[in-house]
Amino acid sequence: MRVRGSARRRASNTAGYLFISPWLIGFFCFTLIPVGASFYLAFTKYEIVSSPTWVWFDNFIRMFTKDYRYKSALKATFYYVFTAVPLRLVTALAVAMLLQKSTKLISVSRAVYYLPSIVGGSVAVAVMWRQIFGRAGLVNALLKFVGITGPNWLGNPKTAIWTLIVLAAWQFGSPMLILLAGLKQIPQSLYEAAAIDGAGGWRRFRTITLPMLSPVIFFNLVMQLINGFMVFTQAYIITGGRPLDTTLFYTLYLYQKGFRDFEMGYASAMAWFLLVIIAFFTLLAFRSSSFWVYYESRERE
Amino acid sequence: MSKMGRILALTLIALMALSIVGHAADPIELRVAWWGSQNRHDRTLEAIKLFEEKYPHITVLPEYSGWADYWPLLTTQAAGRNLPDVMQQDYAYLGEWVKRGLLMPLDGFAASGLLDLSTIADAQLSGGMIDGKIYAISLGTNSLAMVFDPELFEKAGVEIPDTWYTWDEWVALCHEIHDKLGIFGAGGNFQNEHIFKTWLKEHGVWLYNEDQTALGYEDDQLYVEFFKMLLGLQKSGAMPTLEWDVARAALGLEDALIVSQQSAMDFAWSNMIVALVSAAGRPLKLGLMPQLGPNSVPGNYLKPAMFFSITSQAKHPEEAALFIDFITNSIEANEILMAERGVPIAPAVREALLPMLSEAQQEMFRYIDVAEKHSSPIDPPDPPGHNNIMQNVYDQLAEQVLYEYISPEQAAKEFRRQAEEILRSN
Repeated sequence: MRVRGSARRRASNTAGYLFISPWLIGFFCFTLIPVGASFYLAFTKYEIVSSPTWVWFDNFIRMFTKDYRYKSALKATFYYVFTAVPLRLVTALAVAMLLQKSTKLISVSRAVYYLPSIVGGSVAVAVMWRQIFGRAGLVNALLKFVGITGPNWLGNPKTAIWTLIVLAAWQFGSPMLILLAGLKQIPQSLYEAAAIDGAGGWRRFRTITLPMLSPVIFFNLVMQLINGFMVFTQAYIITGGRPLDTTLFYTLYLYQKGFRDFEMGYASAMAWFLLVIIAFFTLLAFRSSSFWVYYESRERE
Repeated sequence: MSKMGRILALTLIALMALSIVGHAADPIELRVAWWGSQNRHDRTLEAIKLFEEKYPHITVLPEYSGWADYWPLLTTQAAGRNLPDVMQQDYAYLGEWVKRGLLMPLDGFAASGLLDLSTIADAQLSGGMIDGKIYAISLGTNSLAMVFDPELFEKAGVEIPDTWYTWDEWVALCHEIHDKLGIFGAGGNFQNEHIFKTWLKEHGVWLYNEDQTALGYEDDQLYVEFFKMLLGLQKSGAMPTLEWDVARAALGLEDALIVSQQSAMDFAWSNMIVALVSAAGRPLKLGLMPQLGPNSVPGNYLKPAMFFSITSQAKHPEEAALFIDFITNSIEANEILMAERGVPIAPAVREALLPMLSEAQQEMFRYIDVAEKHSSPIDPPDPPGHNNIMQNVYDQLAEQVLYEYISPEQAAKEFRRQAEEILRSN
């Protein structure tokens, strides 16, 4: 009996694996094996047309000691992440609070505000953005209308990255939706009690909304941090890293190294170090959370 | 009924037998890859149809894309040992591909007559030769050119310069047009590597030394003077500043300042004139690049616009040679291709096309004739690492100079240091 039972179990296991095989094949072929291969390649000099040669830590040493453009890439990426992510979260929260109120057109306006996020990462929007901030673009046309000669948005090393940051802030849709759900979870009774005690709007926001919302904000922060470090399409299309490498984001440089200069080993090393950077900041966010994230459930324990 | 059935069966068998005989020579699938615009794709596909009619046993599998996608794609195929039989090649990549053993020498096919090169001038073949062997057949001849807008020159009351003029005269011309018309004398992007190489050529040097281990010039002053000239033009407004130019969000050739009459001059490869004229909708003229002085070495040279090569991973090298021969020598094919890749290298083809050319193409043919008489031999193919040096060092430093973040002197030193570091690592 026992033998028969295990045979049946094995048969049903096989069936199970067969059923998930499309996913399994995809996972092994397109995720696990490439990830493993890139880890190996990170320690090689590999120019695609010749076979990889093992170079130990040369790629990493070159990254930190010799490669000026790598430094520019780090600088641009950090600048972007630490301005664009907070801006996007603040915008998302502000819009979520506005949309919280129930009015007749609420579902329409929610959809409308979510739209930029759906189309946001696309090439079409990036091309449009290029035109908006181009020399004779929409922004400068409006400025001209009020008598100001607009700057060279995309050409000026100080402003170019801000066109990308503004684009990021505009794509607040998904954190906004999550925050909106979080806002709905906050019991009305808390606000009512506070109002009776004479708390004003700002005070209610600071002492009720923010703490009650902090787990959701925390979740968004982590997700947006990770997304922020991986920003690519926008810079690839809108600025191409120019001018003076001020918008040369990490992944853009990684792409250039791998697919333009054909230094796959070096690009793999860069990719793995990006993982370290992201892991570090995610960990930092988690560590900091005990100071500012408030979990109602934990209080009851 | 059964009789009918038997006849039917017999017919079927006969048909099958016929088809087996017909396929005795197995159909050959020849893979051909190129980059280009939609216009080039259409023309090339049309020419391929003609090739398939002439050689019914060969089916061509075309693989085409734009320039930016082409190289990642082909490089990946090379790594996977899956390169097409025939590939379009570029002068900037040729040296590296030959060095890595990815291309097949074509001398054998030329000797056996499969690839007929008997009428082609040596000067037209030398661009595709490395170490005395032919690795690539030019698909058309190009030369760097100054583009002039006759309408704007007339408006400014200035003559388009003669064949031979100096850089000083050219700079003065830029200023004069800027002063008279308020537009740019010349469009931007003159820091482009090809202009710099032209400048060096006129000084009698190549960007690299013969062993390809260091830069080819000793005196950094060459670099400094070149960038000082550009900075001067930029400062006076006779040429757009790089900041202004980057901010234009320009996307393609159609956005060139000369097209929109914002500048009276620009530089281009001669085959681009066709696209420029069709975008501008008015005639433009081509002229030689400026010279250092009356007796300097010509900076112009004839460059194969692009090539066809047979890869070392080709499954059907002989049919590939046949295909390249067809594209090079067939007049019918070239009547379809219409010199879109550059002026054809076979004299018979050139002659046949002449009466069919558009005005812009005639200008291109005329210019190549002029350039042929006033040009230096082409530089050797660039060393491996050249593209890396250009994109990660030269372009970056040029940008910093033109944004006035560093001086040309500093940039010259930095360029030498970083470029030679890359060359050493080859």
